[in-house]
Amino acid sequence: MAALAPDVVPRGAGIDLGGRGIPHAAAFDAGPTRFRRFFRSLELWLPVGILTFIVLVCFLWPVIHTIPAAINGNLLDANLPLFTHSSLYGNHILGTDTLGNDVMSEVLYGGRTSMEVGLGVAVIGFGIGGTLGVIAGYMGGVLEAIVMRILDMFLAFPALVIAITIVTYLGQSELHVIWAIAFFAIPAYARLARATTLRIKDQTFIVASRLSGASDKRILFRHIAPNVAPQLLTFSFLGIGVYIIVEATLSFLGYGLPSNIPSWGKMIANGQIFLSTTPQLVLVPSACLFILIISLNLTSDALRARWGAQ
Amino acid sequence: MGSTVSTETETTTDDFPPSGVATQVPLLQVRDLKVRFTQNGRTVRAVDGVNYSLQSGKTLAIIGESGSGKTVSSRAIMGLLPATASVSGSAKFEGVELLGMSDKELRTRRGPDFAMVFQDPARSLNPTMRIGTQITEAIRSHFEVSRAEAKKQAITLLQMVRLPSAETRFSEYPHQLSGGMRQRVMIAIALSCHPKLLIADEATTALDVTTQAQIMELLEDLQSELNMALILISHDMGLAASFTDEVVVMYAGRVVEQAPTRTLFSNVRMPYTKVLLDAIPRLENKSHTLLPVVQGRPPDLTALPPGCSFGPRCPYVQEDCRETEPPLEEHEPNHIWACFHPVIEGSSAK
Amino acid sequence: MTVTADQSTARGLQAGTPLLEAKHLVQEFVVRDRGGVKGGVVHAVSDVSFEVRAGETLGVVGETGSGKSTVARSVLAAPKPKSGEVLFKGTDLVKLKRRDLLELRREMQMVYQDPYGSLDPKWQVADIIEEPLVAYKRGNSSERKQRVGEVMDLVGLDPSVFSSRKPRQLSGGQCQRVAIARALTLSPELIVCDEAVSSLDVLIQAQVLNLFEHLRQELQLSYLFIAHDLALVKQVSDRVAVMYLGQFAEVGPSDKIYLQPFHPYTAALLGSIPSPDPNAAKVSTRGTISGEPPSPINPPSGCRFRTRCPRAQDICATEQPLLRELEPDHSVACHFPLAGESVTITMNGAPSD
Repeated sequence: MAALAPDVVPRGAGIDLGGRGIPHAAAFDAGPTRFRRFFRSLELWLPVGILTFIVLVCFLWPVIHTIPAAINGNLLDANLPLFTHSSLYGNHILGTDTLGNDVMSEVLYGGRTSMEVGLGVAVIGFGIGGTLGVIAGYMGGVLEAIVMRILDMFLAFPALVIAITIVTYLGQSELHVIWAIAFFAIPAYARLARATTLRIKDQTFIVASRLSGASDKRILFRHIAPNVAPQLLTFSFLGIGVYIIVEATLSFLGYGLPSNIPSWGKMIANGQIFLSTTPQLVLVPSACLFILIISLNLTSDALRARWGAQ
Repeated sequence: MGSTVSTETETTTDDFPPSGVATQVPLLQVRDLKVRFTQNGRTVRAVDGVNYSLQSGKTLAIIGESGSGKTVSSRAIMGLLPATASVSGSAKFEGVELLGMSDKELRTRRGPDFAMVFQDPARSLNPTMRIGTQITEAIRSHFEVSRAEAKKQAITLLQMVRLPSAETRFSEYPHQLSGGMRQRVMIAIALSCHPKLLIADEATTALDVTTQAQIMELLEDLQSELNMALILISHDMGLAASFTDEVVVMYAGRVVEQAPTRTLFSNVRMPYTKVLLDAIPRLENKSHTLLPVVQGRPPDLTALPPGCSFGPRCPYVQEDCRETEPPLEEHEPNHIWACFHPVIEGSSAK
Repeated sequence: MTVTADQSTARGLQAGTPLLEAKHLVQEFVVRDRGGVKGGVVHAVSDVSFEVRAGETLGVVGETGSGKSTVARSVLAAPKPKSGEVLFKGTDLVKLKRRDLLELRREMQMVYQDPYGSLDPKWQVADIIEEPLVAYKRGNSSERKQRVGEVMDLVGLDPSVFSSRKPRQLSGGQCQRVAIARALTLSPELIVCDEAVSSLDVLIQAQVLNLFEHLRQELQLSYLFIAHDLALVKQVSDRVAVMYLGQFAEVGPSDKIYLQPFHPYTAALLGSIPSPDPNAAKVSTRGTISGEPPSPINPPSGCRFRTRCPRAQDICATEQPLLRELEPDHSVACHFPLAGESVTITMNGAPSD
């Protein structure tokens, strides 16, 4: 570490003077004005609120309010326009698709699936990839080399081909789609985790911990992991959007979810040809996906801004 | 730089025709310099009224700790503050007002008129550019010289700052040099256009003490050769005592004591200065000496206490100190301080 | 302040007997060029021997590249030196297995230069201070909490205010206090301070130095105090070792080093320190030191200081001077020491032969 100036000022406190090495003011207790604070918290809570709303609606609405089925629709009901009321099946707020499935219902159930896939991949990536990366980075040496080279091999294959192969081999199901996409998420998480670990592991507080008697296990769990996790978390938020779109691609190619499970990606992919006749088939799931991904990105940015201040 | 500036108009004897003639006319005259930063609705009075005059060939020390405003005031003069700064007051270089000057004109002046050396050479030098190029770039941006001529001048400069093997070093990158050598390169760059004023902002703090001594001696030699004025910004009182003609002590953005060096160090009046002096480990102290300490931390510039800013920590504080801010006045010939209860020789702390 | 059981047994050592003995320490680092190719070897510490006696403070002063921080790390075997012995109360740390080393480390702790860097930014102060106790599995939860409170009181931090704060909510001086508190939790006998106050403002530095002194008296601590500021080191220490480019140039009592330095480098250091006393002599390097510090990758042959020394002769290049005792407890490694001369700190120019 470069030699520090003899003057060290309370960090993270006071005014940021454009990073020109101008000394900061000492800590002040009261924060920014109320308006600024509100605005700043809005930066985080607005996207989080939207995310929560989407999650709640997709998962809870079908439970509390009976809606027509998303699958196995009656062909007789095909291509109904918006706001059609069917005495048999209830309200088709968004009409139906070519197979008679209620679009609204498809959007809700599809949302569930998309989010499950996105979240599933993120969790696997975080858990497996993160762990591998941290261990590799901390242990170093031969272990690190082997782990990273194996993960690099994963990345060397053309992604889509591998995903298609996996799904074909294992069979089409939501879980298998998750694993297929996770195949590529794991190395990405591992790289990030390893890089962050390398940055942290030689810092003084790790040395201090070791000299205080902490075992490697303790250091990994109590010191390294909590300092690596925020990075992985913000990475996850960005990643989820990507995973959902990858799943959409797979479904479009016919190697994704089985035909009886809807997802936004699938709706978009399959509904393209009907864009002129029943645009809502594409527009609604697109809009939902758009809002979801933007909210995820905004949340990620807001979190990074908050944690980056440390 | 985009900073908002309001300048005073003075029609006193302070106006004089700009000239290169160094006489009794001050090279740099700073009057009531104030710098304010506003962010998130909070205002920081980083510098709150600084006055000094500097003659050619003389050295001024600005002493203070972090947050005292010593760096900000110098950067204000050179126009190096970010846009969030609002600067008021006057800083006249050879009679020409610098505050409010356009960026373009300041750039032509930075180099031939005044130059600044910063603390951390690792960050002030471009790591991807060779040393020699960084010097010649500075030269050629101010003077119309050929590349060969600039190179010759640069090597002469490197030799002047006593960089060993200047010819070889010319083509090297910063990372190939030690900290002391890099700092000398910084000085060479600053000197490349023969400035009339050099501002050294903690320029030797990160250096070994022997290197510091060598560089300070070098600066002294150069001063007498070039009749260059020097402003030494530091927290190191020993440095100020050894190398300067006049000392300005700052605390919380304000000047609290100002005097010619000998006067100040022989008759410290401001309690803050005394406290600072007492807190320095001395070679003469016996081992296990306990230093006289003051409690507390540097003040919060956004919420300064009423009365004297040093009051909460001052060992001599009394009631009136907490109520009114002591004015900065010349209480003794040539010796200015801002304190109701200054240290008189022989008196002990409360 | 309660004295824990640990303390009363540990203090059994007679004051003045060696607590820590380092013998012929050598530490080297390999410098790798780009692409991992082995470049040069940094001879950070070359055959250094010293001892820290019980109850005393040994200061080690040196400039950049002197290897003083490496000495501090080697003494704690973090990492272990390339060769040499480190005897703590008679047991050689270098030879110990990990488990035994851990046990011995309990009695030696370290305070680092960077106040913020040595504390985990995500942890609360109370947890940071408690960590050594948890790592060594001492006491139950309430006993640990009590110890943390004790130690925080010792360093002047109010537990009710500071326990739940995080490092970024503290000032530099407060962070250092936390670091010191953490070092004290296990009641060590020796504390190694690696530039522990160099990053602090002058006034805060004075506070922390006084804290070190108070703790020394109250807890009968021994210190190994590393710094680059000679005035600072001298004031804090009983004995001072001056280090240059991986070797000790001179070791002796603080006052002697100042009043009668034997090694030309020590004299140069003393002459370079500007004094705030207006009547003191002007800082000068003329005649005391010249040139640039050489690289620790290719140190000069023989005496490493010879390239900058005004007194260097041929023998200095061929034969390396060993540390020898010129006066009781005052040793120097030089062929032409300044012994027996009234050292001229007050005059400009070389000390007279």
